[in-house]
Amino acid sequence: MIRRRQRGFTLMEIVIALAVFGVLLYILAVLTSEMNGYEKRYPINFMAHPDTAATVARLRKDIVDTYDYPPSPYEEYTRGDRVLLISSIRPDGSSETVVWDFRTPGEVHRKAFIVGNLTSDWVARGMPQFTIAWALMPNGQNALRLTAIDTKGQIAIDEVIQPRAH
Amino acid sequence: MRQRGFTLVEVLAALVILAIVTTTTLAVFVERQRQLREASETILAWQALANEVEYRRRIDFIRLDTAPAAFDPGNTAILAPLAPYAATVTVTTPQPDVKHVALTIRWQNGKRAASLEIIRVQTGGGNLF
Repeated sequence: MIRRRQRGFTLMEIVIALAVFGVLLYILAVLTSEMNGYEKRYPINFMAHPDTAATVARLRKDIVDTYDYPPSPYEEYTRGDRVLLISSIRPDGSSETVVWDFRTPGEVHRKAFIVGNLTSDWVARGMPQFTIAWALMPNGQNALRLTAIDTKGQIAIDEVIQPRAH
Repeated sequence: MRQRGFTLVEVLAALVILAIVTTTTLAVFVERQRQLREASETILAWQALANEVEYRRRIDFIRLDTAPAAFDPGNTAILAPLAPYAATVTVTTPQPDVKHVALTIRWQNGKRAASLEIIRVQTGGGNLF
């Protein structure tokens, strides 16, 4: 039986291999750390979600077309930082009362009423938690301020929308 | 049977290929991270610019020059991740009845900037709509 001499790696070979792996691990750690820092520093881009962008666009259209604010409460809705009551204009020129309801986490409800009758009931799911407030403009007019806070408490959406002149 | 290992040239060639692949992959990764970060910054800056424009549109024409040169504090909260930043407003009057209102946000020590300009026209208080 012929026995072949077997030899392992030398210390130098192992050290070099470990050094190469060490460098790669270091680069990976730095990149991961940068990525984590980036995620912590910047808010979530909710508007990258098409449904969220579409919902905000629909709300913007309603606000821009608003000509009046109906009395609160309206039906079972009371105006507040999660409920918006507006009087808007329909395509045929008639008027409707629109309720934007942000009270249910993750959902946005839009209901339209004509003379107290529900004519449209629309809901969007997977939404951020919106809050509405009023921003006083220099001309004394109130604009609506729509904000959304992400899970880290950072402002991710901040939009000031004002009714247009009719 | 005589067994032989790789030659030095073979090992070096393999290492070069590995280095190129690794470097390219990391470079793509880093570049994508940079682009994502810049996109996030731009989105934040433009939200603040759009909101400030709404504010500036509602200032009386004759008061535009004396209005604060800084953004309304309510419009800068979203810019917190860009700190330190500078948000400035510059008003110029190319014609007596026309004013240019330029809004600029600079961050990363001025390396990055976003700006928006609106043109206001003196209508004598009349409504153009």
